[in-house]
Amino acid sequence: MDHRETKEEGLSLSGISGERPSEERPEARERQEARASSKQDAVLGMKIENLSAFYGSFKAVTDVSMDIQANKVTALIGPSGCGKSTYIRCLNRMHEVIPGAYAEGGVKLGDQDIYAKNTDPVTIRRRIGMVFQKPNPFSKSIYENVAWGARINGYKGDMDELVERSLKRAALWDEVKDKLKKSGFDLSGGQQQRLVIARTLAVEPEVILMDEPASALDPVSTQKIEDTMADLKKRYTVVIVTHNMQQAARISDYTGFFYIEHMGDPGRLWEFDETDKIFSSPERKETEDYVTGRFG
Amino acid sequence: MPRETFQKELDRLVEDVVELGREVETCLVTMVEALQAQDAEIAKKQIGVDSRYKERGTEIDEECMVLQARQAPVARDLRLIYTVQVVTNHLVRSGTLCEHICHAVAETAESDRDPDLAATLSEMARAANGLFREGLDVFEQRDIDRARDLEAADDKVDLLYSEAMNLIVNPGKEGGGAPEWRTRAALIVHYLERIADHGVDVGGRTVFLVTGERMESAMRQYRDRRVDLDED
Repeated sequence: MDHRETKEEGLSLSGISGERPSEERPEARERQEARASSKQDAVLGMKIENLSAFYGSFKAVTDVSMDIQANKVTALIGPSGCGKSTYIRCLNRMHEVIPGAYAEGGVKLGDQDIYAKNTDPVTIRRRIGMVFQKPNPFSKSIYENVAWGARINGYKGDMDELVERSLKRAALWDEVKDKLKKSGFDLSGGQQQRLVIARTLAVEPEVILMDEPASALDPVSTQKIEDTMADLKKRYTVVIVTHNMQQAARISDYTGFFYIEHMGDPGRLWEFDETDKIFSSPERKETEDYVTGRFG
Repeated sequence: MPRETFQKELDRLVEDVVELGREVETCLVTMVEALQAQDAEIAKKQIGVDSRYKERGTEIDEECMVLQARQAPVARDLRLIYTVQVVTNHLVRSGTLCEHICHAVAETAESDRDPDLAATLSEMARAANGLFREGLDVFEQRDIDRARDLEAADDKVDLLYSEAMNLIVNPGKEGGGAPEWRTRAALIVHYLERIADHGVDVGGRTVFLVTGERMESAMRQYRDRRVDLDED
């Protein structure tokens, strides 16, 4: 199956879709309200089968199959250029927003095929949010950064409560509660990244994808993001791409190692196992060489 | 290859452990000699070695801690450092037991012995020494095929242990030697059994170092594979 996006769409940052007015999406609103009232909804995992990703004729990732467990942190590691970021972008249909880029294979969120013809990619990106390497707050107040996505998604509940709850879950509330009207840009890099996480949480996603969320941050901010993730997995399914292997070892439950065997080949999922196993006695030599730093 | 400095530090760590092991092995050889000959002078040469082994053990332990703190080892590097710490402990403990035996020999060199029990002790000492050396060889050469023979060899030591204990509890017509000697013999039997166990454990830890699996599990898989091959 070839999953090329047929509609013209812009980037959907952090799972927030600014393209459609809320009244067109009553089911999203109902779902969101239901989730807000019932915080213990069953969290969904993802099932990926034989996924390959292309940029035009270039195959960047080939034949990845992986079960992403609900309420767990799954880390993706591997050398640069082996397809980790491309792969993670396929998980919420963000890969296809690049002209000529498309994916083949199956990706399911729970039982739902996210690449099915009748599936709206914008809805998928809200249910599967993404946080990027560089914090990207909007040029709005801290409060509006968090509230905006929920509002345009038709959230009708108590917005103050939603903003506070989201900021608390992102472990930022105590640092910003007295300056919610200030610009998001007034915050430090680490705080901005947690603001982006809060913004992602405000639209009540089920899965959070993070592409090197702490690589531009200082150690203290990194530690706060890591602590945040330990809390997040209680309510969400988390997938993180990281170049910091110790970070993967510290925070994840499962680790996938991506690898390119020969120059020019597409990236593959070389080994996927519990993090304890990957960092104590991985099955494959290449994985062991990589995690022990004997690679290259 | 990246991390050359770290690799050199790990190599040096292993060299230090093997060097300590060989020192303890020399001590064991002397102990066997003293025990067989009931020679107080030979035995006394080894009195005091224990503190040196402990000091070396502490130094190796500290090297391991520094490497863990500075290099954040994972996978085989982590297994190596963990194994080095455990193996070092086995080596130091063996050295301590060796010194205890030399003490016992020196204190009872003039006492009457039960020849049967003395012969069993000597045989057990040689077997324990052999197991210790074998375990150390397995570690040095990472030769896990040889590790599987260690448990069988340890069964022999256990048999000698039972035999010696039987002779201690049921002395022959000659009276079983002087009481002070027989009391020491009971302790020596126990110490030798422990030294043999330390040798087996050093080999077992090496299996974990190489395969990432505990000795018991790795050996079970090995045996299952043998059965499959035999059936084919």
